[in-house]
Amino acid sequence: MSYEIPHRWIVTFRYPLEPLPPPKELRGRPIIDPNLCIGCGACVRACPPNAITEEIDISKGIKVVKIFYGRCIFCGRCWEVCPEGAIRLSNEFELATPNKDDLIQYVVLPLHKCVNCGKPTEFTERQVVRVLTMIQELPIERREELRSKILLCRECKASFLSKPMELRGSEVYEKVKA
Amino acid sequence: MRRLRPKLRSVWVFHVDAGACNGCDIEVLDVLTPFYDVERFGIKLVPTPRQADALLVTGSVNRQAVIGLKRVYEAMPPKPRIVVAIGSCAIAGGIFYDSLSVYGGVDKVLPVHLYIPGCPPRPEAILFGLGQLLGIVNKKVRAEEYIVKEPIKDRGYRGLFTERIYKDVRYFLTKYVGYYDRDEILENVCEVLRESRSIEEVEHRLIAKASSVRDPRLREVYLVLSGFVVEQLRGRSRT
Ligand code: SF4
Ligand code: SF4
Ligand code: SF4
Repeated sequence: MSYEIPHRWIVTFRYPLEPLPPPKELRGRPIIDPNLCIGCGACVRACPPNAITEEIDISKGIKVVKIFYGRCIFCGRCWEVCPEGAIRLSNEFELATPNKDDLIQYVVLPLHKCVNCGKPTEFTERQVVRVLTMIQELPIERREELRSKILLCRECKASFLSKPMELRGSEVYEKVKA
Repeated sequence: MRRLRPKLRSVWVFHVDAGACNGCDIEVLDVLTPFYDVERFGIKLVPTPRQADALLVTGSVNRQAVIGLKRVYEAMPPKPRIVVAIGSCAIAGGIFYDSLSVYGGVDKVLPVHLYIPGCPPRPEAILFGLGQLLGIVNKKVRAEEYIVKEPIKDRGYRGLFTERIYKDVRYFLTKYVGYYDRDEILENVCEVLRESRSIEEVEHRLIAKASSVRDPRLREVYLVLSGFVVEQLRGRSRT
């Protein structure tokens, strides 16, 4: 038996002069996919250190989902709860920066406009689309009832639904159906 | 924002724990081990702030620690007096951000020159940050803003594959597997549902999938899931 010389005497990695690929499972920077996010805010509720926040600007008709990596603890709770699979933890870890503002990602989503009065509501267009696809399987009368609630803003809903069935204006129904 | 001095030859650092959970401190020590060996860049851990060029601050800066932190800062030589915030706690309070006894961030009490996020940051991430102090690497992140205009991307609903069954499978899987495996299984189940014509075919293909998976835990998940999916689909077709 011969004494084998170890493959490498030097154990030190050459990083950062050479790249060192991270493991596949590494929990790095969470990234929101703007093609999939509906602005539901589930990640905002779940995030333990409130690294993700949401802001609704009714006058501009937008909702901003903002994620600040400086406070993120890379726990993956947002990935776990996101109903659309929009937010995922990538394995980027090279986040060091001299400027704190570099560590922010914004996703700006348009708000749904009430079909009756045209004012922006508190939910996004994509949320409405999602709910409408989800209620497709319900019986028709239940579906129509939900449609009339989903597409209206809070004031219109209150004035519309508080009336008895006969007195509800048919024009609102027409708008909801369209 | 303060610009980093482009070329510092040999930075001597002093490490201050301002109320860290010790996670970040251990990673700072990891950087000194032979695997990462930060001393090859001339970065040296010194025992006193009087010799230090840079201060590595970890932890959420609680009210007791801030007294010591300020004294250490004043004891440093007036130039270059670099402060590096390591870990989420040192940047913005991290998980302790709303606690009564913390300031939440080193930049509330001292000017900070470099932020290294992570909880704790990997030794590579700390090396990457210190590399920026020496000017051998450039920063990679920048603020990103997406203004969404287009409607939501379709997930390809057709036949047996509907939004409801997608959500049901997703919540069912959450009880059994972590998110890492869940997304892969979910993708496979969507594929099966999209391509199958009948409920029997779904069942057959999911069980075939289960026997082709090598990990016994995931195989179990596929088996339980096939029962659940078939039950859901049957229940739906009956109403
Ligand atoms: S949970 Fe997902 S879909 Fe909802 S706001 Fe967060 S990233 Fe967007
Ligand atoms: S990984 Fe954890 S801390 Fe980071 S954004 Fe997601 S939920 Fe928040
Ligand atoms: S950032 Fe995380 S690991 Fe570092 S001190 Fe804070 S809680 Fe501990």
